[in-house]
Amino acid sequence: MNLTYVLKKLISLLFTLLLTAFLVFLAFSVIPGDPVTTMLGTQATPEKVAALREELGLDRPFLVRFVSWLGTFVDGTFGNSYSYHVTVRSMLAGKLPITLTMTVMAFLMILAISIPLGIYLARNSGGRTDRIMTVVNQTIMAFPPFFSGILLTLLFGLVLHLFTPGGYVSYTRSIPGFLGYLILPAVAIALPKAAMATNYLKASVLKEMKMDYVRTAYSRGNTTKGVLYGHVLRNAIIPVITFLGMTFTDMIAGSIIIEQVFSIPGIGRLLISSIANRDYPVVEAIVVLLAFFVIVTNFAIDIIYRLVDPRIRSAQEE
Amino acid sequence: MEQTTQEKLNTAVNPSEDLILKVTDLNIAFHDHSLPETVVVDVDLQVKEGDMIGIVGESGSGKTMTALAINGLLNRHDIQKKGEILYKGINLLTCSRTKLRQVQGNDISMIFQEPMTSLDPVQRIGKQVEEPLRLHEKLTEEEYKARAVEALGLVELPDPEEIYNRYPHELSGGQRQRVMIAAAMICKPRILIADEPTTALDVTIQEQIVKLLKKLNQTEKTAILFISHDLSLVRKLCPKVAVMKDGYVVETGETEAIFRNPQHPYTKELIAAIPEIGVKQYEKKSDEIIVSARDLNSYYPARNGKLFGKKKKVHILKDVSFDLYKGEILGLVGESGCGKSTLSKVLLGMVKDIDGSFTNQDLHPQMVFQDPYGSLNPGKKIGWILQEPLKNFTNLAENIREEKAVTMLQKVGLSAELMDRYPNQLSGGQRQRVCIAAALMAEPGFLIADEPVSALDVHIQEQVLTLLKELHDQIGVSILFISHDLRVVYRVCDRVMIMKEGRIVESGITDEVFLHPKEEYTRELLRTSGFLGKNIV
Repeated sequence: MNLTYVLKKLISLLFTLLLTAFLVFLAFSVIPGDPVTTMLGTQATPEKVAALREELGLDRPFLVRFVSWLGTFVDGTFGNSYSYHVTVRSMLAGKLPITLTMTVMAFLMILAISIPLGIYLARNSGGRTDRIMTVVNQTIMAFPPFFSGILLTLLFGLVLHLFTPGGYVSYTRSIPGFLGYLILPAVAIALPKAAMATNYLKASVLKEMKMDYVRTAYSRGNTTKGVLYGHVLRNAIIPVITFLGMTFTDMIAGSIIIEQVFSIPGIGRLLISSIANRDYPVVEAIVVLLAFFVIVTNFAIDIIYRLVDPRIRSAQEE
Repeated sequence: MEQTTQEKLNTAVNPSEDLILKVTDLNIAFHDHSLPETVVVDVDLQVKEGDMIGIVGESGSGKTMTALAINGLLNRHDIQKKGEILYKGINLLTCSRTKLRQVQGNDISMIFQEPMTSLDPVQRIGKQVEEPLRLHEKLTEEEYKARAVEALGLVELPDPEEIYNRYPHELSGGQRQRVMIAAAMICKPRILIADEPTTALDVTIQEQIVKLLKKLNQTEKTAILFISHDLSLVRKLCPKVAVMKDGYVVETGETEAIFRNPQHPYTKELIAAIPEIGVKQYEKKSDEIIVSARDLNSYYPARNGKLFGKKKKVHILKDVSFDLYKGEILGLVGESGCGKSTLSKVLLGMVKDIDGSFTNQDLHPQMVFQDPYGSLNPGKKIGWILQEPLKNFTNLAENIREEKAVTMLQKVGLSAELMDRYPNQLSGGQRQRVCIAAALMAEPGFLIADEPVSALDVHIQEQVLTLLKELHDQIGVSILFISHDLRVVYRVCDRVMIMKEGRIVESGITDEVFLHPKEEYTRELLRTSGFLGKNIV
């Protein structure tokens, strides 16, 4: 891996982030709905409104506000919440680990299901299991996470009594309890994505098995297993990496709904309540944070790509 | 995966048993559908220690299937196999998978036609060359590496240590084929099957690979089954030959004897397709110049990957000058990547970044491409395709257009029924006829034929070339005939130009150039195509 490449990539990453931040800030400056009105009510006197506007710094020109807002990212406070009069950072601090833990759990589940299953189905393509799993996969793919979330809650909570709906356990109190509670929401997020990843991997393995280098490998006396794990898998995983990367970013953003379904006090719930309160500093900070995760994940995917596929490495280093 | 080298040594010191492979009554059939499709019928083949046997035939003749069967690569359920492939008393068709794997890559190894795709793209060369050894012999890591480097040296790759750490995409086609050979030879096999190993390579590289195989055959005593559609190549390389057609071996024996006195009509036809030179009569058709180029240069923008990086240019055509006279066929010969196709694009006005000048007397020059499968719109019927040029260039009424299309279809030897067919219902040869017909519909004065027969089988090639020549004599269209195949060029061209790296290095009347080449490069091209040495030396 070459250092100038990483540096160049990091600089372009910073630019992307800055642009995103600008667009987010612009969007919240022009959308209708005034946080001051929300805070004071529609009956407030114009003087009171003006005073609060000045206090919050909303009377300053757009660019000045934007720059001073950027400043809050540099000092790490992310600004002050309108509603709670504390720094946005302190509000995010307790929530971010929850959402990230849930997403990472879901992602690991996707890997644990799709990789072995994809390979198995490719090896037994056309067989009975493959045909059944194709139908099952299609069905699961059609389940949105909030719906499977509700079904899982019903099954494990009300029928099997293995899960207490709404009984979220904070990680400060008990880590096993915390992780235990997150299993079902993670499964709900993971299921449709795992089904898709399985299909992707299966198709990719089947496609690679038809390649010329596979015939070469067989001609050398390899077993099917040897061909599969020695050659095919690394080639087959390349297109799947793109999908997994997109999935990961998608899941962070998608956690908003599932947190709502399972009453998990993560970033998603904070975002929804902040939008309702027109607490723009919090909303803006979360949106920028989500964008940041997307960009960083894409960067990581790019690096992984280059590690797996030597052709990309040299194409870009030329 | 146990050591089998010891066994190999035992048979090697036993001279009474020098027959190493015996194929008897081999039959192969697919049965994807209800009817089995037979691709190999009653094939017998005997390979002795150190043999060099050519298997010749066009695509679909069953030669590759036979090879795959010998290497044990036909194990799919939908393939029926009958007969015997005996290696050291084991029938490779019926023995256990484990036994077969001990033979594969160890005693019998194989290289393929597609060096570009036959290597695993994400694995280092060294690891791929070592693989057969790892599968068949238990050695230390250092020994594996040493043997791999040794094998890479054996196939004359420069700096084997360095190549060891490279990836396939960093090597050229010729180098990749050498890597394939290195991997195939690393276990010192008794038999190497080479399935069209040079077909995808440039002529000069072909020559090197063929020499290498010959050397390996002599120094390593490895018997080689050389599968090819190229008769003159087989004649140069293999003392013995088997000619295959439609799944049968129609003739087999000493190569020279068969060349001198072919028995089977098909063999006769194949040999007749190799041209004699010095038999053409050149007459200048006309003084009128249709296309003329002077000091033509063309450039191609190269991206250097940077967002704000400087644009670079690659110089493709270099000072190309020539005249194409009315009614002649001018050949343009060169290896792939030499700029042949770029020149045709320039002449059609498809390249903007040029300097120098060219004139073209014809308003609507037409083109026939190499790939008859990709160059016809699969969604349109043949009739529509043939009428398209008329719609674009003329105001003829529909019934006249149709009439003309039918006439043209018959001219290229196809029946009028094909008007309502789609391209995918036609064979490759038929499609190329349609392409030619479509190109001639608007009665162009100038036609560019870019490798028009390269994708076709030898005897279909022959038919299409005959047709092109006949049509040309009838209509008198001027043709720029682009090809890498000197034999094809000799058949049809009045004059030829030899192109190398964007420059025309030699040009002249066809027989002049073929009989008395001035440039070393031309000589090399002629040598590798079997022209030199046949008629001259």
